[in-house]
Amino acid sequence: MATKRLPDDLQNRRKKAVPILIVLYALTMFLQAQIDPRVRELRSGEQGLESTSGGLGGEFLLLPLLGFREAAAGLLWVRCDEFFHSGDYDAILPLVRLITWLDPHAENVFITGAWHLAYNFTDSTERSDRRYIVPSQELLKEGVRNNPRIPDINFELGWQNYDKVKDYSAAAAAFTAAINTRAWKGSDDFPYGAPLKTHHILAHTYAKQGRIPEAIAEWRRALARSAEQLARDPRNFTYISLNAAEKNNIKELFQRYHDRYTDHDHEKSVNPTKYPFVIAPPKGSNIPKPWDVNLHVKFEAPRPKVFKMSGTMNIADGARLEVRISDWDYDARDMKRRDVVSKEILQKFKVEEDQTILMDTASVRKNRFEKELDMSKDPRMYSFAADTYKVIFTFNIRTTSPHIQDRHGYSGEGLMDVKEHIVLDRHIDLLGTKMIEGQDGEGPVWDGKSVPWLIDGKGVYGQPARLVRVTYKLSRKQLLGLEPITNKDVVPNDAL
Amino acid sequence: MSDLYSEVVRGSVTVWVFFSTLPLGKEVHILMASAIKIDGLTKKYIDVWQKQEVIAVNDLNLDVQEGEIFGFLGRNGAGKTTTIKMLLGLIFPTGGDATILGKPMGDNSVKQSLAYLPEETYFYDSMTGWDLIDYYGRLFKIPQPERARRVQQCLEKVRLQPDAWRRAVRGYSKGMRQRIGIAQALINDPKLLFLDEPTSGLDPIAHAELRDIVGSLKDEGKTVFLSSHQLADVELICSRIAIIHKGKLLTTGTIKELVEGERTEIVAQGSALHNGVFAKLKSIVPSVSIEGEDRVRLISTSAEEINAVIDLVRGAQGQIVAVVPQKRTLEDVFVETIRREEGEI
Amino acid sequence: MIPLAIANQTVREAMRRRVMWIFLISGLFLIAMGPVFGFLSPKDSQTVLRSLGLAAILLAGLFITIVTCIYLIPVEIERRTIYTVLSKPVQRYQFVLGKFLGGFATVFINIAAMGIVFLVLIYTQEHKVPMDMLLGVVMTFFQMLLLAALSIFFSTFTTPVVNFFLSFGVFMVGNLSSVTDSLASNPNPLVSNAGKIVHYLLPNFGNFNIQNSIIHPTIEIKNQEVFMMQNIIYAIVYSLVLLTLAVLIFDRREV
Ligand SMILES: Nc1ncnc2c1ncn2[C@@H]1O[C@H](COP(=O)(O)OP(=O)(O)OP(=O)(O)O)[C@@H](O)[C@H]1O
Ligand SMILES: [Mg+2]
Repeated sequence: MATKRLPDDLQNRRKKAVPILIVLYALTMFLQAQIDPRVRELRSGEQGLESTSGGLGGEFLLLPLLGFREAAAGLLWVRCDEFFHSGDYDAILPLVRLITWLDPHAENVFITGAWHLAYNFTDSTERSDRRYIVPSQELLKEGVRNNPRIPDINFELGWQNYDKVKDYSAAAAAFTAAINTRAWKGSDDFPYGAPLKTHHILAHTYAKQGRIPEAIAEWRRALARSAEQLARDPRNFTYISLNAAEKNNIKELFQRYHDRYTDHDHEKSVNPTKYPFVIAPPKGSNIPKPWDVNLHVKFEAPRPKVFKMSGTMNIADGARLEVRISDWDYDARDMKRRDVVSKEILQKFKVEEDQTILMDTASVRKNRFEKELDMSKDPRMYSFAADTYKVIFTFNIRTTSPHIQDRHGYSGEGLMDVKEHIVLDRHIDLLGTKMIEGQDGEGPVWDGKSVPWLIDGKGVYGQPARLVRVTYKLSRKQLLGLEPITNKDVVPNDAL
Repeated sequence: MSDLYSEVVRGSVTVWVFFSTLPLGKEVHILMASAIKIDGLTKKYIDVWQKQEVIAVNDLNLDVQEGEIFGFLGRNGAGKTTTIKMLLGLIFPTGGDATILGKPMGDNSVKQSLAYLPEETYFYDSMTGWDLIDYYGRLFKIPQPERARRVQQCLEKVRLQPDAWRRAVRGYSKGMRQRIGIAQALINDPKLLFLDEPTSGLDPIAHAELRDIVGSLKDEGKTVFLSSHQLADVELICSRIAIIHKGKLLTTGTIKELVEGERTEIVAQGSALHNGVFAKLKSIVPSVSIEGEDRVRLISTSAEEINAVIDLVRGAQGQIVAVVPQKRTLEDVFVETIRREEGEI
Repeated sequence: MIPLAIANQTVREAMRRRVMWIFLISGLFLIAMGPVFGFLSPKDSQTVLRSLGLAAILLAGLFITIVTCIYLIPVEIERRTIYTVLSKPVQRYQFVLGKFLGGFATVFINIAAMGIVFLVLIYTQEHKVPMDMLLGVVMTFFQMLLLAALSIFFSTFTTPVVNFFLSFGVFMVGNLSSVTDSLASNPNPLVSNAGKIVHYLLPNFGNFNIQNSIIHPTIEIKNQEVFMMQNIIYAIVYSLVLLTLAVLIFDRREV
């Protein structure tokens, strides 16, 4: 092997240069360590900027300029992640928007961004800003449009409706869409479109809707799939326990169903009052009368924008009374925003500054409830710009815990209120709900036709939930504590 | 920073060494008769795939005296350019050593007195001829009024027509480029010049002109290491040559030694010359050719042979028509040397 | 002296390259378009003028630096002009240094030309000399100093084509200092170490990106002078590291 022999002076230079090189290189690292905090400080100053680039250095714009859109999006996401950790929430939204524009297939950015919108904007007492739900869901829908073959975004949409919005029909639609996603070979769940958990959560959603037979059917679908999984890998403990859990869930659902309904003759126990399905015992029977919750609500404004709700309700401990304070026309405006999604929502996730909404719950203990709602500290969230407001107190048996459902039925069949505070949840989803045969051939048998009732002049079959509800219509002055709030402000449920 | 600093230090040290050795200059000159001393110089190239080795220069030993024009001959690919580049420190040997003007090869300080004309150079061709030579003058740190004078001197010396001095080199002909090349080699008034084929591809007049320029360098006391294929030129201007083949030195010596040899042709004539005499002549010299009834041509290789032949011819009443010393051309020497090496002779 | 002579010659040679002029003219054109875009944009027209101008200087400067510096040494070797230089009393380090200084001077001339046009343009609009914009140009300039050293370094052992992508790639990665800084504090040791390596070992071009802060008047750079000086020293020291490495490699190079 021939080796080059360098002249002596070159070799000497090498010997001399190496230590100098090391010192200089170490010096660059030292300098970098000095510069870093300043750069960080500088960048944090930039983050508050109201620009779409979120105050990012030119380096992030260079990549997309050269066509590396996905790469840029990926790097931005690293940056965004840091903002989550540092709690720099304002900086995140423009970044989410920029990333999803750069890379419309970044499904996790759609999901995380939507989650951020729906959950992370809160008032000083951690109540989230419901106004962000529209932009959040619009972002998810855009993600679904861009990624029709990725179930996760629909799953997130479903979960948000299930967990946050409690709109179970929207949740069911989204979960169904996730399940119906066309399977693709690259996915973990192939040959299925969506992960198994989607079936589980859809079954729970159906149960919340009162669509018990569909819930059971969904569990059975899940069971078939997990059995298949188990057959492929019979010793996988996760699969074994999952399969067992599903079986158990079906059993429990049947058990509850059976215990709650089979003792009653549905034909005969139809409530003759204007509230259908509240089960009144036939004359002369020893079955107890429907349970009277006897709701009393008192709503006061001791100080401007600070409210006190209190009262009594004849129900087991653990029940929660929902309260919602909003502009009178909040829902109407919200519907409109959903119908005609403005550029502002899609481009800037803008909320209507002049809209006010608060949602909270108060728990009932020993038949009493009491809660203070302070809306005075967050003027950006609660502007109180409208003239008229709606304050609604609701007890929804569907979202309550099972031990209360066991007493009064899934849909509140065993509930009544002397003050006629019962109102039917007239959601069209209840169409076509019917009873099925039991797990082992026995159990409730209801063909779905035996209990007809009318919605909008149409005869439909199903199980509407019975909500216990009190609604106030209040003026701005009343909320500011300038005028008293009395029982006269309660709007009868019939009038709504 | 450190590089700049060390340059300053190095620069001042060089100046100091230069002045302190000045009175000794002549002695040093007398002591060192060799301008170039090459000792076992070897350059191996390894094929990229490490499968085979090319030995471009193989254990070369040479001694070039000061003040001579040394011809360095060899076929294409013999290793001439490789040798020169090693001597200049442009590439690095894999074995052996060499000293140039008493300093190890590649030494920076000695480059002050060196010049190099590479084969086929493209200069910075957007520069004018003047600017180009001026630039090289700057690299020798020649200060200004002196530099302009030298540039002019060099350009005149290589006989580049003055109207071309301020034109871009891009528009120069091959001959003009070659002249510029020699001019850049002369800018530092070097002691030792390495000229790699300075006269190739020129018209006969330009060729002769440049050859004479190179030849005249000897009169200025410069040493020239001339690599060339133009054997006629070499024969004319070089005092000594070396022939290298496939990296190996085949022969070296003065032109005289190589060309002349010891052979003499004798032509004899006379009616009295007959077969008996011919037979006797054959016993004296090995090569005898009979050219007719009464004429013979022989080649002798020593003075005794010549005398013996003359005595014999005269004794036999014959006439000596001619005694001609046999001279070969350098080309004969070159071809013969290489053929012998190749085993063709 | 010798490096300066080489640098001088290098600048003259580099300024003749057509591709450099294309980028310079594009850069100047973009800067000149500032007021037009500012007029069309709904945003504050001064902001558009400023950000567009700085971006144009950066982009044109980036390309000019790379296409100039990647060729400086390879062209000498390819045309064999380097034989005539290195056979003169020119040390190899002087040659590299001269080439670097020449490349850098070329970049300086270009950025200065664009910078002057840019500042004059702003002056005609606002009737005052914006100091912070001058600082922005200066930072870009030092960023390019570092890039020039990087390209020269690569050019001692790669071909110009490979060098183009290498220099560009390292510039990109080095520009993501905010990302690598975040990665360096990642809980995952693998990620954090990789982040640290990129952040501290590679030349950190992101340090110099102060465009956003100077465009938006609401942001103040604290201890501006110290920050600037640190960055300038960083650029110089890192360039020295690269040049020393370049010399060590070039010393071994057979030409
Ligand atoms: N970089 C290199 N890698 C491999 N081999 C090389 C290299 N440079 C030269 N050689 C080989 O070394 C040998 C000598 O080349 P050199 O250029 O010295 O020849 P030359 O005598 O100058 O020929 P010419 O008269 O054609 O100029 C050739 O065989 C050549 O192929
Ligand atoms: Mg040659």
